[in-house]
Amino acid sequence: MAGNFRVSIDTGGTFTDVLAVDESSGSVFVVKTPSDREDPSRALLTGIDKILTSAGKSYSDIETVIHGTTTATNAVLEHEFSGIGLLVTEGFRHILEIARQSVPDGYGNSFFWVKPPRLVPLHLVREVSERILFDGTVYRELETDSVIRDVAELVEMGVNRVGVCLLHSYANPEHERRIGAALASRFPDLFVSLSSVVLPEYREYERAMTTLVDAMVKPYCRDYLMRARKQIDERTDRMPFLIMQSNGGVVTAEAASDKPVTMLLSGPAGGVLGAIEAAKAAGFKDLITLDVGGTSTDVALVDNLSIRLTSETVIENYPVKVPMIDLATVGTGGGSLAWVGPNNTLKVGPKSAGAVPGPICYGRGGTEPTVTDAAVVLGRFPSSLVGGDLHLDIDAARAALEEFGRGFGLSVEDAAAGILEVATAGQVTGIRQVSTLKGRDPGGYCLVAFGGAGPLLATSVAEFLNIGAVLVPPNPGNLSALGLQVTDVKRDYVRTHVRLVLGDSDDVEAVWADLERQGTADLLGEGVAADRIDLVRGADLRYEGEGYEVSVMLDGDALSVTLDGAGGRDLTAAVAEFHAEHERLYGFSYPGRQNVELVNLRVQAIGHTRRSSALPLLPPDRAPSPGASTRKVYWRTHGWLDCDIFDRATLAARQHLDGPCVVEEYGATVVVPPGWAGTVDLYGNLILARSDSK
Amino acid sequence: MSSLGPIELEVITGTIRSAEVEIEAAVERAARSPMIRDQHDYRVGLYDAKGRKLTGRSYGSLIEPIFEFYGDDIHPGDVFFWNDPYNSAGSCGHIPDLCTTVPIFTGERLLGFAQVFGHHDDIGGSVPGSLPVQVRDQWGEGLVVPPIKLYSKGVANDTAFRILERNSRLAEHLRGDIDSEIGACRLGSRRLSELAERYGVDALEGAFDAIIAHCSATIRQELLPKIADGVYTFEDYVESDGFTRKLYAMRITMTKTADRILLDFTGTDAEAEGPINWAIDYCDGKFVRKWMGPVLRCLADSPERAAEIDINEGILDVLDVKFPEKGTLVTPHYGRPTGLRFFILIRALGIFAGVLAKATGGKMPADHETIRIWGLHSRNADGKLSLFREVLGGGGPGRPWADGSDVVHIVPNSRNLPAEFSEQRYPIMVERLALREDSGGPGKRRGGLGYDKRIRSLQDCLLLSNADRSDLSPYGVNGGKAGEPYGISVVRGDDVEHLPGMVDNVPVAANDQVLLWTSGGGGWGDPLDREPDAVCYDVLCGLVSVDAALTDYGVVIDTATSPISVDDMSTKQLREHMRESRADLPMFDRGQYFRDVKEQGGLVWPQGWSDPDEWLANAKA
Repeated sequence: MAGNFRVSIDTGGTFTDVLAVDESSGSVFVVKTPSDREDPSRALLTGIDKILTSAGKSYSDIETVIHGTTTATNAVLEHEFSGIGLLVTEGFRHILEIARQSVPDGYGNSFFWVKPPRLVPLHLVREVSERILFDGTVYRELETDSVIRDVAELVEMGVNRVGVCLLHSYANPEHERRIGAALASRFPDLFVSLSSVVLPEYREYERAMTTLVDAMVKPYCRDYLMRARKQIDERTDRMPFLIMQSNGGVVTAEAASDKPVTMLLSGPAGGVLGAIEAAKAAGFKDLITLDVGGTSTDVALVDNLSIRLTSETVIENYPVKVPMIDLATVGTGGGSLAWVGPNNTLKVGPKSAGAVPGPICYGRGGTEPTVTDAAVVLGRFPSSLVGGDLHLDIDAARAALEEFGRGFGLSVEDAAAGILEVATAGQVTGIRQVSTLKGRDPGGYCLVAFGGAGPLLATSVAEFLNIGAVLVPPNPGNLSALGLQVTDVKRDYVRTHVRLVLGDSDDVEAVWADLERQGTADLLGEGVAADRIDLVRGADLRYEGEGYEVSVMLDGDALSVTLDGAGGRDLTAAVAEFHAEHERLYGFSYPGRQNVELVNLRVQAIGHTRRSSALPLLPPDRAPSPGASTRKVYWRTHGWLDCDIFDRATLAARQHLDGPCVVEEYGATVVVPPGWAGTVDLYGNLILARSDSK
Repeated sequence: MSSLGPIELEVITGTIRSAEVEIEAAVERAARSPMIRDQHDYRVGLYDAKGRKLTGRSYGSLIEPIFEFYGDDIHPGDVFFWNDPYNSAGSCGHIPDLCTTVPIFTGERLLGFAQVFGHHDDIGGSVPGSLPVQVRDQWGEGLVVPPIKLYSKGVANDTAFRILERNSRLAEHLRGDIDSEIGACRLGSRRLSELAERYGVDALEGAFDAIIAHCSATIRQELLPKIADGVYTFEDYVESDGFTRKLYAMRITMTKTADRILLDFTGTDAEAEGPINWAIDYCDGKFVRKWMGPVLRCLADSPERAAEIDINEGILDVLDVKFPEKGTLVTPHYGRPTGLRFFILIRALGIFAGVLAKATGGKMPADHETIRIWGLHSRNADGKLSLFREVLGGGGPGRPWADGSDVVHIVPNSRNLPAEFSEQRYPIMVERLALREDSGGPGKRRGGLGYDKRIRSLQDCLLLSNADRSDLSPYGVNGGKAGEPYGISVVRGDDVEHLPGMVDNVPVAANDQVLLWTSGGGGWGDPLDREPDAVCYDVLCGLVSVDAALTDYGVVIDTATSPISVDDMSTKQLREHMRESRADLPMFDRGQYFRDVKEQGGLVWPQGWSDPDEWLANAKA
């Protein structure tokens, strides 16, 4: 039987981060290994081997392996299109060509805008003779023989993946199921995705696109996960291998490869969970996460320590409507290039110096200034990074920035500080997408900064948005792997069920109960014990006549707004929460004045996994660190100031730090500006807050 | 407080741009009218304290009506509102467009304005949807509101709200729309206030000047040099005013000099009895100049670059207009109906593109007609109005760099209604949702295809159609051919009734079918120059028929092979023969219906005006 050593692995573009918790002692182990672009499973296994060695453990000690992967995302980004076919209801062959008849952005763009190629070219789309009505009634019976003939033709033309999206299949999946069964027996090697399985939700174009993205990534995900599974099995016996989903929960590798569209945000989800874990320890509940990497920044908003999901994600122009973390990505990171834009403006990103050549100061051939170069010139970064492994060429960065500033008539300091200001504004835009755009004022949230470059700009981002507190967790470069440690098994279920909220709700109860049965059965099937299963109901509602729904989940928060005080899991509770959420999102609501319409019913099945905190306490007897050295650091508001430099590894619990100062650690640098102060909590979290009057 | 430098300018410009997106998102998420929410028929703008437009994604309305009616009676907490085409400085074309404006302050100092105007479902009048076809004056079109305050210093004007709501057949939609617009404006105004706090009012206002000056400079430096100086004329037509079916011409003369463009509308036909007039001769034509200016972006070096160029108040420094005396389609007398002015509004873009095609040797996109409204309305058993109404796009234009996109809509981010939504909400069944084969104008770069849609009505109802380009075709450019026009028919058992583009209240019984075809875009360039493989792929996909490949493109398709293929020898022969036996290619092709009308003397030019179509294609373009 398995042991109690939990291993989590986060595969990134450059490094694969591995973290392990020994449940018996509470010890935490961390290792890094280079990622393997060609076969990520090699790095995965190398990582496991490494951490077992460093902890002195063997495969039999492992309880679970939890994995965050970018395989699905990479398949989409690398445009692995060819060989996808589509089956649709008769009369709808042009569904992808027509899409939503939209032209993006500005007025008059229809003159010059060119529609990008569709996911499936028209000659690989076939119509199916059948028709179902919106209430699920069969209007025309399905004719399967011609489907088989058509698909045989598609396979002949090189199709290896097929999406099936029949009209109103969310209301009655029978025809799609029959097609799925027929294809499985006739074409066993074909990858098939059914829209009624992937996303049983109305709006045919979006459902078709989500289904096709699922079909598109399926061969890659299945191949990768099954290869990894096999290699793990060769070393040990049926160890649980769990995959992070875009919804912030995990499922087994087998379930993930059946519906891989749910893996698109597998990578960033771990970071958000890690941020929640750190914030929970530090006593914060409402957070905005700021995950800054080399080329981009991911931000997400967390209310009351729970992840916010959205079903409106767009990836590479493709609407993908399965529930995912509500995440915004902006093209500003540590390696983003500064350049001169039109109108003589100073621009930063989205082009990045990448890992090669990297910033000028890395001395690997970079010639254009980056955010990192600006930080180095201003003294924000030390003269070497990654524990001394990477020496920084400050003079080269300074020379380049002098040149860059001259074009604007700016001093080298003003140019460098300007680059940081513009980079900050870019990250602010990202935060507005998940906060003000969703009716949340960021001012009341705690900013959790992580990733290699997150702690560099966090306080300026906070000032921009009137955010009062910034939290930098320990090992901010490795937070995603930590987040994978604290996840639950989560599966989402949805069914479109359109009706006005009037009179009794027996039918609604029946649908919810059905989804709950399905969720319970799936989780039991995945080995979750019955007493560890939680079922959260949700609903998508709108005022009669609105075209878009507001999703509410009846978790702990919703209970408090139930007027009758009873139950709290019924339609009445959902409607009360809907009015409140509508008010938060849009600034108005019509309780008692306008009819409410139900559109979708949801259930999230959660399997709680047993775990202790992955954040160890700091040694209680450590003395406050006096600061390792001092260095001149430039601030836009104050000019050059002498600042204390601290080594984070030596900071003690409850230690207080007055800004301006800099805290350095392996893989990240925390900047505390004038007017700010920091405190270290018992877990080593660094909490920064305004110390001046503002 | 900092002064304006490159950093402040970048952050302020970026924040204004993202504020525009935030306002749009806020409108769209909470608005109630499908016209706003799905069809995205609304405009968002941020303006400075002088009423100059700062944002560029959308053409916007104007602020001048506030100055005209309220002077400096502008305070924090005010919300201005109007929909009056004759009392809005030419900024409001028809009365379903309700315009909401919020002034932005830092302390007591006016910084600017946030504005949203959107096409609401219903504001009264004789036909549901407030776009009656047969109406002789504005009073028959619905409730007209001159500039008023809906909120004064934060206090709601409940009287005005009650009147507005009472006059709409869909009062809940109307109220939801207005509330969403006000909320969105307030959200956007906070961004400008925050910028003032961070960088100071002086830096902010300096940035406003720079943003506007940048627009003029970009047009002057990048776009104007591509237009040959000279005087050029062009014209295009609306087919009917709802009462009389004849060609109503809009005419322009463009005078291009080194750093300016003047557009003179003199020669435009007399105002119409029905609702196709467009009152734009106010306030130095500021509105129409901002509306037509974006067409110039087609001359950018690439479509990607074109998309980056924001057209804001800076266009006024480059583009001038001149209007004829009162009493024409673009200078109607007070109170003439304007509900269906969107035909002439689209024609305005087309004729500007036409003169530019002449002045650039054919390097402009062809014509495309991308807005028409049709619908079915009825009373449900409970007496409530059911109004199913769609704004359907059409084929985009062929252009030097690409084929036209299929079924696009000129309104950015406009969305059609999903069949699964329509069938849940309305008593209809969508039987076919397709592209219409051969509807794109042939050309080296083919015009985009229009819709081929078939709807079955499930209860007795009345049909409306507000469509132009049902006789005339979107024109082809530089040797490209015209696209196919719009059509709408009702099938009752074995009877098929073909309807004109502009009708109201046509009875449709339960189980009758409505067939719709929307227009294809005009083609660009000589169809005989189109790559045979591209024609063959179009045939494989069912976008072009084997016959049209032969007769329009001179491409012989061998259907016996699998997949189908081009018969190279026969194609070469046929194309040589076709080239030899035809006349020189004209710059414009307006299709067969137009040639017939012209031949029958249906076109009368004003004195001093000659046929603007006398112009040859440019083989070297």
